[in-house]
Amino acid sequence: MDRKDKKGTASVSDAATELSRRDFLEGTGAALVVAGTTPAIASAEGRAATATTPAQQAPPVPTTAITLTVNGTRRSVQVEDRWTLNELLRDHLGLTGSKIGCDRGECGACTVLLDGVPAYSCSTLAVWADGRSVQTVEGLESDGEISVLQQAFMDHNAPQCGFCTPGQLMSATALLERNPSPSAQQVRQALAGNLCRCSNYNAIVEAVMAAAGTSAPGGSI
Amino acid sequence: MSPQQEAQIRPMDTVGRDTPRIDAYERVTGRAEYTRDITVPGMLYARVLRSPHPHARIRSIDTSRAEALPGVRAVITHETHQIVYGSGSIAGGRQYSDAAKDITVHKRYMFDNPVKHVGQPVAAVAATDRYIAEEALELIDIDWEELPFVLDVEEALQPDAPRIWPEGNLGLDARNEPRASGGVSGDPEAGFGAADRVFTDRYTTAFVQDAQMEPRSALAWWEGDKLVLHTPTQGISNCRHDNAKDLGLEDHQVQVICKYMGGGFGDKNGSYYFDLIAATLSKEADAPVLVELTRKDDWLGTHGRWHTVQDLEVGVTADGTVTAIRLQAHSGMGPYLRRSGGLSGINAYACPNVERTIYPVHTNRMVSGNFRGPSEPQGYFPIQSMMDGIAYELGMDPVDFALKNMLRPTDQIRFTNYTLDECIERGRDLFDWSSRWRPQPGSDPGPIKRGSGMSFMMFRAGIGASSAVLRVDAEGQYTLFVGVTDIGPGAKTTMAMLAAEELGVPLGRVDVVWGDTDRCPYSVGESGSRTTMMTGFAVIEAARDLKGQMAARGMPRGDDVLIASATPNPNTAGMRRMCFAAHFVEVEADVQLGHVRVTKYVAVHESGRILNPRPARDQIRGAAIQGIGQALHEELLYDPRNGQPLTAGYYGARHVTHLDVPEVEVTFVQTDDGYGPYGAKTVGEAGIILGPSAVANAIYNAIGVRMKSLPITRQRILEALA
Repeated sequence: MDRKDKKGTASVSDAATELSRRDFLEGTGAALVVAGTTPAIASAEGRAATATTPAQQAPPVPTTAITLTVNGTRRSVQVEDRWTLNELLRDHLGLTGSKIGCDRGECGACTVLLDGVPAYSCSTLAVWADGRSVQTVEGLESDGEISVLQQAFMDHNAPQCGFCTPGQLMSATALLERNPSPSAQQVRQALAGNLCRCSNYNAIVEAVMAAAGTSAPGGSI
Repeated sequence: MSPQQEAQIRPMDTVGRDTPRIDAYERVTGRAEYTRDITVPGMLYARVLRSPHPHARIRSIDTSRAEALPGVRAVITHETHQIVYGSGSIAGGRQYSDAAKDITVHKRYMFDNPVKHVGQPVAAVAATDRYIAEEALELIDIDWEELPFVLDVEEALQPDAPRIWPEGNLGLDARNEPRASGGVSGDPEAGFGAADRVFTDRYTTAFVQDAQMEPRSALAWWEGDKLVLHTPTQGISNCRHDNAKDLGLEDHQVQVICKYMGGGFGDKNGSYYFDLIAATLSKEADAPVLVELTRKDDWLGTHGRWHTVQDLEVGVTADGTVTAIRLQAHSGMGPYLRRSGGLSGINAYACPNVERTIYPVHTNRMVSGNFRGPSEPQGYFPIQSMMDGIAYELGMDPVDFALKNMLRPTDQIRFTNYTLDECIERGRDLFDWSSRWRPQPGSDPGPIKRGSGMSFMMFRAGIGASSAVLRVDAEGQYTLFVGVTDIGPGAKTTMAMLAAEELGVPLGRVDVVWGDTDRCPYSVGESGSRTTMMTGFAVIEAARDLKGQMAARGMPRGDDVLIASATPNPNTAGMRRMCFAAHFVEVEADVQLGHVRVTKYVAVHESGRILNPRPARDQIRGAAIQGIGQALHEELLYDPRNGQPLTAGYYGARHVTHLDVPEVEVTFVQTDDGYGPYGAKTVGEAGIILGPSAVANAIYNAIGVRMKSLPITRQRILEALA
């Protein structure tokens, strides 16, 4: 979605140097799969072909069959190679909990867990999730019960506008999984990749600490 | 505060008690539905092409290749649609005046030609998927004639500056005359004559993007001649009216829905041009259209706090009494006067002799608008820095200087209540000012130096008109209809709490219907920190009416309901109604690296009665941290050679993260002045106003050098110390 950015808002001199997220992902993806094909050439060829044949039917988009586990359910999906994991989740699996705040790996609103590790789903291609396990905010509930962390977020007013909340929850879930009793500073470090423009950082840390059974300074009211 | 006052503001049955937000569950489970989470059958995706130039004329625009791309359903440009975006350029910056929107000669169109800033929309495409829409943008051919541009506010007023408007680059007032805002009170010349010393200095403040986490979008479709619009707005009522006016419709022909919004922070109490783009594309394509702004689109294509250059002159007597203040300022508004460009701060001082001249200046930077306390943080930073410095010059403690010179009630200046002295004194004690403040600035040994600073403010807590409707059924279930959207402060919960309190029922008995103009009465909108005071008061009035009906007629039976509505328009009979605050900050500054860390932050606020303690506290904490970001980090830089913005986006603007923030200690001095809902006053904006000035004053105390430009970056500190 940054492609428009490049054409629309960058100066001519910038256009050559500014790499969009999608170009970057396509580039690295291609480099991983097809050794010896430089991403720049592949990308330029694709664009030139489209530009010279606008009236013709667009060439078919390459797709790949993948199997992944989403929130505990095994799913087999035919994905377009260009889809990000976030697109797969939001647009094709109906899981709109993870948000797009920047679509370029800056804000963390799209954070999901990939095999238990926080990942920016805007900067992860869907095909890379083949054979792996994905957990989103929708998967934090079990048997209709929200998690201890979700309850703590409610009790401690951790969401203000709520847009960053799913990402904060996923990073914190991963933290508590590997460190059930983190210090406040460890919480801040684990969540450093999740921006909150409401800047409700104090309350978010207090909520995570409360979920861990410890209390952060200033958490009471 | 006296014991009686404390007793007066004890928690009520619901109000004043810590209450989880009634939609907290939706917010922590991913169920909260934001605009982009909505899909409707057959919807198209739209992308907006934007200007790569700071100032350029479109000689020709050819969309034929884009239109020929399979999957493209509509392409619109300035040639196909000339729609004035009425709330985009407003004479005199008067947000809610239809007359002012009509009268301005500096009209802003949905697509303008010439374009006047990088990121300005020039065309839009609707297609069956996002990829095709993006591809189509690349197939639009434009022949540009680049025009000279100007970025600097003072250069822009020079006679030979490139003209953004035929009338010149000074913003127009409501009579289309170029004019500075401000004015004279008292006798400034006499005041300066009476001064023993006169201090002058120049301060600058940076453009800061509102940068809410949810990038803006709009989903529109038509049902006959009625427009249905899902869009993130802080005010559904004003958004409906703005869009109806621009599209030549009656208000009832537009339905605006905003159930959840990923942050507001200002200037979204109304419509945005992408609402018009979505509506227009939807009409052209005869299908629902979702316009999505990328983060960069949003950064450069919406608005942020106006940047300023401010020259201050302050006269003071030897005993530390301020006798005169003169401000000459330039506010950078971008090419359109979306808002006033005003500056506050001097109003917090008692000095009777004041001259203020503020030029709203057009440049080829992006558009400026309201950001939380629109005129405040960048207005308070210079004057509170000046006064802090004068205190040192006179050998006075800055807190004593503040208490001596701040505005207090007089026979002429009456307040509904006044607690600024109490806020300052409480803050001084809670912060332990006497041991943290260095009488000798920069005196800590070694490269890492600590220092402390403070600042104080008063901010409007006005009351006024808004509406609410309340219904009760035979089961004793109440339904409250309020046109709020809940952008983060918890307005929906507050409205339910007020209804429950006045009705004397548990909170769970009150359902809230919100965020939909077809279902809710007018609400003032969540801007200006007004929802609680105005719509909240309407809720109480509606509840009183309903109680009266129930007392007279009994509870409804069977399928009957009782309904009450209220549209009160209270006033304070000429008294000023203000909230008050003092912030005390300690920083640690590394004079070798230029790095600054906030190590203690005490915020004491009087916002009347606090209705819901935890969200109120978090409004102040979050706002204070935004203020720290404005003090130390955020700026949209431009390349002077080519007019290109350099730091659009969260990384570029260096937004604060979890790792950058201190624990903000918030204390509320609670009062009930008898106005508003149970005495509640402004909260939302109040917390951001003092961050930059208090942090800057603390940095001075730490390093002994006055930092006069925001943001106070490492580079600036090292340059100042060199």
